[in-house]
Amino acid sequence: MPQAGDLTLLQGTLDVLVLKALVFGARHGYAVASWIRETSDETLNVEDRALYVALHRLEDRGWVESEWGLSENNRKAKYYQLTPRGRAQLRAETTRWTTYAEAVFKVLGAAS
Amino acid sequence: MKLGSGIRKVLRHPPGARAVERDVDAELAFHVETRVDVLMARGLTREAADAQARREFGDLREARDEIAAIDRGRVGRERREDWWEAMRQDVRFAARALARRPSFLAITVLTLALGIGANAAIFSVVDAALLKPLPYADPDRLVSVWPEGAMMPGIFVEVRNGTRTLAPIAGYSGGVAVSMTGAAEPARLVQSDVTSRFFDVLGVKAEVGRTLVEGEDLPGRDRVAVLGHALWQQRFGGDRAVIGRSVVINGIARTVVGVMPRGFRFPSPDIDFWVPVSLDPSPANIGPYWGTSHLNVVGRLRPGVSVRQAEQEIATLVDRSRASFPWRMPDAWGKNVTVVPLERRVTGDVGPMLVVLFGSVAVVLLIACVNVANLLLSRAAAREREIAIRASLGAGRGRIVRQLLTESVMLALLGGLVGLGVGAAGVRALLLLLPAGMPRVTEVAIDGRVLAFTMVIALATGVTFGLAPALRASRPTLQTVLGATRNAGGSLARRRLSEWLVVAQIALGVVLVAGAGLLIKSFWRLHQVELGFRPEQVIAADIPIPSFPSDTAVRAQAFYEAVLERARTMPGVTSAALASVLPFGGTGSMQSSFASELEANPLPPGAPAPMLVRTVVSDDYFKTLGIPLLRGRSFDAADRSGASAVALVDDLTARRLWPNAEAIGQRFRPVWVKSWITVVGVVGTVKRDSLSSAGEVSVYLPMGRTAGFNFSTQMTLVVRGTGDLSALRSGVRGAVAAVDPTVPVNAVRPLEDLVSNSAARARFTMLLLATFAAVALTLGAVGIYGVVAYAVVRRTREIGVRMALGARATDVLGMVLREGGTLAAAGVTLGIIGAFGASRVLAGFLFGVTPNDPAVFIAVPTLLGLVAIGACLIPARRAARVDPMVALRSD
Repeated sequence: MPQAGDLTLLQGTLDVLVLKALVFGARHGYAVASWIRETSDETLNVEDRALYVALHRLEDRGWVESEWGLSENNRKAKYYQLTPRGRAQLRAETTRWTTYAEAVFKVLGAAS
Repeated sequence: MKLGSGIRKVLRHPPGARAVERDVDAELAFHVETRVDVLMARGLTREAADAQARREFGDLREARDEIAAIDRGRVGRERREDWWEAMRQDVRFAARALARRPSFLAITVLTLALGIGANAAIFSVVDAALLKPLPYADPDRLVSVWPEGAMMPGIFVEVRNGTRTLAPIAGYSGGVAVSMTGAAEPARLVQSDVTSRFFDVLGVKAEVGRTLVEGEDLPGRDRVAVLGHALWQQRFGGDRAVIGRSVVINGIARTVVGVMPRGFRFPSPDIDFWVPVSLDPSPANIGPYWGTSHLNVVGRLRPGVSVRQAEQEIATLVDRSRASFPWRMPDAWGKNVTVVPLERRVTGDVGPMLVVLFGSVAVVLLIACVNVANLLLSRAAAREREIAIRASLGAGRGRIVRQLLTESVMLALLGGLVGLGVGAAGVRALLLLLPAGMPRVTEVAIDGRVLAFTMVIALATGVTFGLAPALRASRPTLQTVLGATRNAGGSLARRRLSEWLVVAQIALGVVLVAGAGLLIKSFWRLHQVELGFRPEQVIAADIPIPSFPSDTAVRAQAFYEAVLERARTMPGVTSAALASVLPFGGTGSMQSSFASELEANPLPPGAPAPMLVRTVVSDDYFKTLGIPLLRGRSFDAADRSGASAVALVDDLTARRLWPNAEAIGQRFRPVWVKSWITVVGVVGTVKRDSLSSAGEVSVYLPMGRTAGFNFSTQMTLVVRGTGDLSALRSGVRGAVAAVDPTVPVNAVRPLEDLVSNSAARARFTMLLLATFAAVALTLGAVGIYGVVAYAVVRRTREIGVRMALGARATDVLGMVLREGGTLAAAGVTLGIIGAFGASRVLAGFLFGVTPNDPAVFIAVPTLLGLVAIGACLIPARRAARVDPMVALRSD
């Protein structure tokens, strides 16, 4: 859904967004993509392919695990959920991001 | 939807590669379809929605491949982790199972350690001698020319000038003992004379300085020396400034030009340094150049040239060089030119011996394996119920076999570990035992290669002895085992298997013991050989020529006579003499052979000149060594002065050279001189080179100035004494020091040692094979004992019934013995057949014994039979003592 004015995601940001998307419970890939788009008021637009690669990479690292289930529209869908390690990773990444963002704000907002 | 515990199960059974891709496809399809649903809900047609959804996603195929690759990596990793987890479980389980039976563990590990350790030790020798490549550049292009003889310098030069197949090519002499004086105190060292390209052929560079350069083997330029690493370290403290210094070797000053790297030891490990051989074709040097000095030849094959081509070319060149000789060579001379890979030359003839030893030690391991397999079999019987329960709980047959194999491999690895210790001790023992002249003995060690070999055979061993019992044990069906309380006779099939194992074991034992028997008998025969002299109470000492300028042969002779005079007057000495070479002295007769002419048998043009081997001796040589004078007279002082040219011959030579006439009074001469040498006496024939070899045509010349021969050889002092020989030893050193303190005397040893050294290889092979045979016999006895004893225990109830029904103790004893005896008889029969085959392999090692020696082939099976019966007797007597009441109640 490319739109004008989209922000390109910074390297490594996608992983933490995906982890965050799963913090409220198991979701399939489409739901993760929709949630990120809606929650960011359509500012952050995630490429579908990159999202799925991220999901599988997180699974490979042991931060999420997957299982087949039935979706709301009664289709077979693959659901992802956080593992305890994934949760810890999300906490660590959130802290890192906040610190980073605050620092950047401080610099940008400095009155010469 | 339900997540959680279910995921665990998914992970435990990871999908295959195909399934991975199917999953990814399904997942992506769901995404696209859901998007289509959403778009259609906004009012698009199905086609438009589908097209937009796909466009938004991008290249589905590429995405699929990328994602599938990630998943495949994960799945593979998980599978490996599962495998290791199962392995850890097996190992833990096996360790617990083994720990529960410490005596079983100890017996099997020790048995295996013995077998594996012996193999490791022998392998380390085999590896060093036969398997490791030579430490030279491109070693498989190196060839040895004319290996069984050696080339006179004159021929070597012609071959070197003519060859197109070998480049470069070089000659070298084996080690000769020399004395080095100069800087430090005099030392007796070993020198090899080499031609200029020697180091280039081998492709080895000097560590310090340089090696020889072209032309340094010509007179005038040859006063240089290249030091070995060890000599450089010990005598010159590893000082790099040694280059350019002067050393005095046998009275000749030479300049050190280089030092070779550590580990360079060609042609033999005892070489201390190398000097150029002087290829001097001047008339003064005609005897050595064309007749008495010899070079071994090594060359490097040019690219694309085969060993055969080189051999043909060298043969042609050698044959052509016949015309260059100053005298007529025998027609048979030069016909046996061979070119062989250097490796074979270095290995020499120890190959077959090592192969025999390696084969024997492998048989020992096999017997050890059989023992352990039998132990595991009887143990498996005791564990039948445990295995059946595991099977009933869902363990597949593969899983059970794997579990049992893990146990046996663990046993084997433990055995291998302990075996390495045994092997290390074995190598130390072997190094003490190894006969002199064993190739590359300095490289024998427990190294990475031996370690790898040991672990591989340990693994192979574990699988070998573990597989059959594991397969057997995993087979019983649930009902038979769980149903029956105890199976009275043990499974019949299992008993058959262990009986076959025992038969095989006895058969292998017979083969080994028969081989050892043949070697022991031939060793004993070797000791019955008539030497022709009496070595007891004689000591021998090599005394190098002192450091006079080389041309003063008169002074050299005066020195030796002075030493002899002192030795003769030492207390306890009955007689003393000097000789250029002793029987069993190690110097090949090749070095002292010369072409000769007989007066009674003038050489017509074209007739071959007989080759004679000379021994230069002082007057009392025959008396000192106890060689009988058969006819004529011995040497006297007048002979020594050189007034008359005389010689003695031995009985064999007299009959060969003058078959129809009396040898005394006959005359002969080296082909390059004019004056004749008269035979004045005939002495007894002695064994010269080895106990098993036939005699050479040899003559004795008196020490002194005999025409045609430079007095250039080092002499050996022999002293016959009474009482304690060690007093004589120090006396000899003192005598030499009193005459010239700069002359080093290192090797002073009883003559008997020289003789027994020549049988050292026979003794080594015999000792090792006898040891292996003894181990095989012990293991075999333990094996048959174990099987019979186990059968008796299993059949206690049956025996009880028989006794209750009236069988007497002797009947039971007989029954058990009969059963053991049947096994033994089958094993011995098979073993004799095998031994007949195996003894052919030994034929080359036997002396005075045929491979089918009846005594050995009767004694060995009898011995094995007795041992087997003896091993059965213990359980048989136990069976005979069974109390029927106790036995019947036991179940």
